[in-house]
Amino acid sequence: MSDRLALLIKVNGEMHEALAASSATLLEVLRDQLNFTGTKRGCDHGVCGACTVLIDGNLARSCLALAADIGEREVTTVEGVAKGVNCSTVQRALIESGAIQCGFCTPGFVMALTYLFSCDPRPSREAIRVAISGNLCRCSGYVKIVEAAERVVEAGL
Amino acid sequence: MEFFSPTSLDEAYRALSADEAQCLAGGQSLVAMMNLGMVSPTRLVSLRKIDSLRGITRQSDGSVRMGAMTTHAELANLDLPGAPASLLANAARVVAYPAVRMQGTLGGSIAHADPAADYPVVLTAARASVEIGSPLGSRLISASDFFRGVFETALQQGEIVTAVVLPPPEVGAGAAYEKLSLVAGDFAIVSVAAIVANTARIAVGGCSPKPMFASDINLTDDALLIAGKQIAVNSDPPSDQRASAAYRRRVVPELIRRAVRAAQASA
Amino acid sequence: MSVGARLPRIEAADKATGRARYVDDVKLPGMLHVALLTSPHAHARICGYRLDAARAVVGVKAILIGPDLKTPRAGGIIKDESMVARDKVRYVGEPVAAVAATDLATARRAVAMIEVDYEPLVAVLSVDEALAANAPILHEEFSSYVQSIKGGGRGNIIFETSLSEGDVQAAFAQCEVIVEGIFETQAQHHVYMETNGCVADVDASGKVTLYATCQSVHHIQQRVAEELGTPMAKVRVIATRVGGGFGGKHASNVHSITAWLARAAGRPVKLVLARTQDFEVQRSRHPARIWMKTGARRDGTILARDVEITTDGGAYADESPPVLTFALMMSRGPYRIANVRARGRAVYTNKLRAGSFRGFGNPQASFASESQIDELATRLGIDPVEIRLKNAMRPNDTAFGGHPVPSCVLRDCLVQVRAAQRHAAPLPVRPGRTRGVGFAAMSHVSGLMGTAAEVQLRTDGSIALSTGCVDLGQGADTTMVQICADTLQVAIDRVSYSQQDSDSSPYNWKTAGSRSTYMTGRAVAVATAAMRDKMLLHAGEMLECAIADLELRAGGLIGIKGIPSGVTFKDVALRSFFQAGGPIAANHSFVFDGPPFDPKRASIHQLAFQNLGVYTFGAHCVEVDIDEGTGKVEVRRAWCAHDVGRAINPLACEGQIQGGFVQGIGYALTEAMQWDSEGWLTTITLADYKVPGVLDCPAEIIPIILEDPEPSHPVGAKGVGEPSLVGAAPAIANAICNATGARLRALPMKPERVLEELEKRK
Repeated sequence: MSDRLALLIKVNGEMHEALAASSATLLEVLRDQLNFTGTKRGCDHGVCGACTVLIDGNLARSCLALAADIGEREVTTVEGVAKGVNCSTVQRALIESGAIQCGFCTPGFVMALTYLFSCDPRPSREAIRVAISGNLCRCSGYVKIVEAAERVVEAGL
Repeated sequence: MEFFSPTSLDEAYRALSADEAQCLAGGQSLVAMMNLGMVSPTRLVSLRKIDSLRGITRQSDGSVRMGAMTTHAELANLDLPGAPASLLANAARVVAYPAVRMQGTLGGSIAHADPAADYPVVLTAARASVEIGSPLGSRLISASDFFRGVFETALQQGEIVTAVVLPPPEVGAGAAYEKLSLVAGDFAIVSVAAIVANTARIAVGGCSPKPMFASDINLTDDALLIAGKQIAVNSDPPSDQRASAAYRRRVVPELIRRAVRAAQASA
Repeated sequence: MSVGARLPRIEAADKATGRARYVDDVKLPGMLHVALLTSPHAHARICGYRLDAARAVVGVKAILIGPDLKTPRAGGIIKDESMVARDKVRYVGEPVAAVAATDLATARRAVAMIEVDYEPLVAVLSVDEALAANAPILHEEFSSYVQSIKGGGRGNIIFETSLSEGDVQAAFAQCEVIVEGIFETQAQHHVYMETNGCVADVDASGKVTLYATCQSVHHIQQRVAEELGTPMAKVRVIATRVGGGFGGKHASNVHSITAWLARAAGRPVKLVLARTQDFEVQRSRHPARIWMKTGARRDGTILARDVEITTDGGAYADESPPVLTFALMMSRGPYRIANVRARGRAVYTNKLRAGSFRGFGNPQASFASESQIDELATRLGIDPVEIRLKNAMRPNDTAFGGHPVPSCVLRDCLVQVRAAQRHAAPLPVRPGRTRGVGFAAMSHVSGLMGTAAEVQLRTDGSIALSTGCVDLGQGADTTMVQICADTLQVAIDRVSYSQQDSDSSPYNWKTAGSRSTYMTGRAVAVATAAMRDKMLLHAGEMLECAIADLELRAGGLIGIKGIPSGVTFKDVALRSFFQAGGPIAANHSFVFDGPPFDPKRASIHQLAFQNLGVYTFGAHCVEVDIDEGTGKVEVRRAWCAHDVGRAINPLACEGQIQGGFVQGIGYALTEAMQWDSEGWLTTITLADYKVPGVLDCPAEIIPIILEDPEPSHPVGAKGVGEPSLVGAAPAIANAICNATGARLRALPMKPERVLEELEKRK
C-alpha cells in the first residue's frame, strides 16, 4: 500500500519493526502486527481505557496514539510490567483481591495502577479512584479494584 | 494519508500548506474522530517534535506564556500564583480522564473548540490571549475573539496555535471552575469559570456556540441571580444527549452562583 | 475445604498478565476479515442488489446477501429472523450484506460499493405507534413463522400473556388505601467491555468450527446449524475467554454470518464488532411501560395488585416472550399478596431487537413494584421496611404462579440492611446536598433448563472436570472446580477444567438466569460424588474391606476408618486403568425438576415457560445525596443483602453483588439508548452512552451474604448473578423520595428529570 510506513517502535525494552498504514493506531500495531494482544480494544474512541499503555512512562490510550507518531518514545504494555511468567505487585494484588472477573478491562487497570504507584507509593483512596477514573469496568463495580490498590499501599511495596 | 513530523515551525508551515493538511497535537480528539470515520485527513503534521511549542515562561510583565503543546497534566500541576493561573489549573484537572490529560494539549484542545470543553470557558473568563503562528509571522488574539462557534476558531488554513498567554495575576482575586456533567470525565452540560475580586467576571460554556461572558457583576445573591437569568435568557443552548436547552437555561444561574462563591472562598 | 474459600479466579493470573485469549486474540492463517453493510432505513422493502463493483475489489473472497439464504427463519420461541435481512429491513442498523476480505480496510471498501435498492415504508418507532389502528405491520408473514408457543400475531404484537391468582376486583373492594401509577423504563445496553465477535474456520468436509465469545457453545451450535441447514455434527463451537456477557452474547447474527462466510470462502473468517456497531446490531434490554395498582388495609396488609406490562421488543422477537413472562412472574414482588392479576404484551417496533439482559424483566417490574410499595407506605404512614417485613414471603410460601419456595430469608435480608445502615458510622452529607435513604427488596430464580457434568480420574490421581457452562467472567469455572475439589477433598490445582467445546463438553443450556452455580454446580457435585463412590469401590477391593468402613481423606487418600494407611487416588487410578474396571469416570445430567406453575392456584395464559424455581431473595439499602440545584444524584453508600444458599466462593459472590449493583446504578441514573425520529440510534459511542466509572459509584458497596442452604443442591448453593442489579433503581428512587418528597417513575433518573420533579413539588 502506498501509505504504509516502516516503523521501528520500542516496546517493553525491545525494538520491533512493523509495516503499518500511516493512519494506524498504536493499538492496531501492538495487537495486529507485534502480537502484543494483552492490550485490548474496548471502544476505539478513547473512553473505556482497555487499551491503556505507557508511553515514556506516561499513561496513554493506545487507540488514540498514532503508531507513526511514537517515534523514539518507549511503549510499555501489560506484557512488560513483570518479567517472564511472574506477576508484578499490582498484578498480584488485583488477583488476590478478587478484583478480576471477566478480565477484559484488567490490563488497562494494571497500567493505570502501575503508573499511579510509579508516582506515589502511598496514594489515598481518593487518589486511587482518580487514577483509575479513565478505566471502565462492567463486572466488578470497582470496589475490589480500589481494595487491591489499597492492599499494595498497606504492603508497603 | 501522508504523515509529517517536522522539528521546526518553519517545516511545519511548509507541510501545512497543502489543502486539507491538519495538525496532530495530542491526538485525543483527532484520532478518536479518525477512528469513528468522522474525519479522514489526507495529510497529518505532527507537532510533537517542535520544541518551541513547549514550555511555560513567566514574562516580564507578569503574564505567563504557555506553549501550545503543554499537556493538561502539566497545566494541572501549574504552580503559579494568582487568579488566572489557578483557574486554568483547576480546569485542567477535570478535563476528561488521566490518560487523556497526560497526552492531550492546550493548543490541540482550543484549536478543536468543542463548545462543551473546558478551556474555551476558562480562557475567556481569564481574558487570555491566543498566539497564532503562520509563515507570515505571529499574531495575538483575545480568547473571546479566538473562539467563534461550534468547532470554529479564528485559525486560518496553514496557521498553528503556538501559545496561550495568561494575563498577570490579579491581586486579591479568587477563581473557580464549576462543571456540571452527567458522569465524571464527560464533557460539560454547563460550566462556569469565575474570577472574583470586588466584582465577578464569568464565562459560561455549554449554553451557546461560543462561551458567554459577563463582567462587573455585584456579589450579592440578588445581583448574581439577575446576571444568571440574563445569561440564561440570552443563551442559545443545544438540546442533545446530555440535556435539553431548557435544563441548561434552568441550571445556569445556580452554577454561576456556585462558581462565584467558590471563587470568593479561594481568594 | 475449597467450598467457602475466598479464592481468586483460577484464570486470574492469565487475565492480569494479558495472556487470556479472547476472540479478537485468535488469529488463524489465511484469516479473512468481515465488514457489514447495514440498513439506513427503519422499515423498507429490499428491491434489489448490485454487487459487481464490490466483487471486483481485489481481496474480496465472499459476499453474503439475503437471497443467498435457503433455510427458514431462525430465532427463539418465535423464529422470525435471519442473519442478514431478507426481503425487508426492519431497523436502522440491520445487517443487509456481509463481505469477507483479506483485510478489514478492503472489506469496508467493498461494503461501500454494494448498492441496495430500498422501497422505504412507514416505520413505527414506539409501542403506541405500533399498536395504532392501521399501523404498518412489521411481520406480515407472522402466522407462517415457526412458533413453539403461540402468543402473538395480532397486529404488531409479538406475544401476549397473563398470570393471575385470587380475585383482584373483590380484593380491591376491601382495600382501604389504593395507589396507582405508570412507570417507564428505558432501553439499556449490556456494554460488556469485550464486544461481540466470532472467528469461524472450515475444514475440507465443510465442517465449521467457531471460536466465539458467547454464553453457550451448545446454543450457538444449534442456531448456526439451523441457519446453515446443516447437521449439528458439522458445526463445532469453542468458547474463547468471554469479556462479559450479561445476556448480550447469546446466539446472534455474528455467529451465523461468520460461519456462512467461512464456508463460502473456504477460509477462516473473523468478525469482531466495533463498539459503535455492537450498539447497533445486537440487542438491548426491553424498554417497558408498567401500569400498576396496589391496594392494602390500613394496617399495611397488602391485599391486591393489578399490573399491565407492555414491553417494546424492537424489530425481532428474540427473547421477548420469556422476558415478558418473567416480568409478570416478578410483578408481585417477594410478598404474600393473595390477589394478583398480571397481564402483558410485547410489541414489535422498527428499532433494534430487545432481548436478554441481566434481570430479564425483573428490573422493570421491580422498579414499579418497589417504588409503589414505598408510595403505599407513605400513604399509610408506615415505615418502608416495616411494610415490607409485614408482607414479606416466608419459607414454604408459594411464588406468584404457585412454585413452592421452601427457603426464604427475605425478612433477614431486610432486617440486616436496615441494621447495617443504622449502625454504620454516619457519612457526612456533601455540602449543599440533601441526604436520602431508600430500600428495595427483590426475588429472583436460579433453576431452569438442562445441564450436565463429566468428571474423570487421571493416572496420577488428578481429576479432569468438564461442563458446558461458559464462564462469562462471573467465576463459573472457579466455582465448578471448587465444588469438585471439595467433594473429593483435594486442592483445587488437582482439578483440571476444560474449555467449553460443543464437540466434547456435556450439554448446558446457557450461562443465564443466575443458574450456573445451582444447575451446573449441582451436576458437578453429583457427578463427582458418583466418581468418588466408584473410587471407593476400587479402594474397598484393594483394601479388602466393606465400603462402609472406608473414609475419604484430604489430599487424595482413601483409607479404612481408624487405620492410618490407605491408598492414594493415584493407586486407585492405576488399578482402574491397567488392571480392573477401566478408567474411572462419572457424569450427571438433569433438567430442572421443580414443579411447574400450579393451575389450581393460578390462572395462566400462554406463559413462555413453566418450569423454573430455586427462588432467591435480597434487599438493598442506599444512601444518596441529592443536589437540589441541579438534580444530580450521587449514591454515597449501599448495602446489598443477598441470600445465596451457600457461598461457594464468597469473594466471587461479593464481586458479583457489587458489579450488578453498579450496572443497576447505570440503569437508574445515567444509561439510556436513544433513537431519533428516523429510527437512527444516536447513542453509539461510550461518550454518548454513559456507563458509570469509578467516580460515579460509591466507594462502599457492602455485600451481605446470607446462607440458607437450598435443600435440592448437594452443597446448598443458589444463584446470585442477577438480583443485585434488580434492587438498585427502586432503592435509589425511594431514597430520592425520602430526601425530597419527589417521586420519579421513569428511568433513567437523570438530573434534568429529577429537577423537573423537584420543581413540581415546590
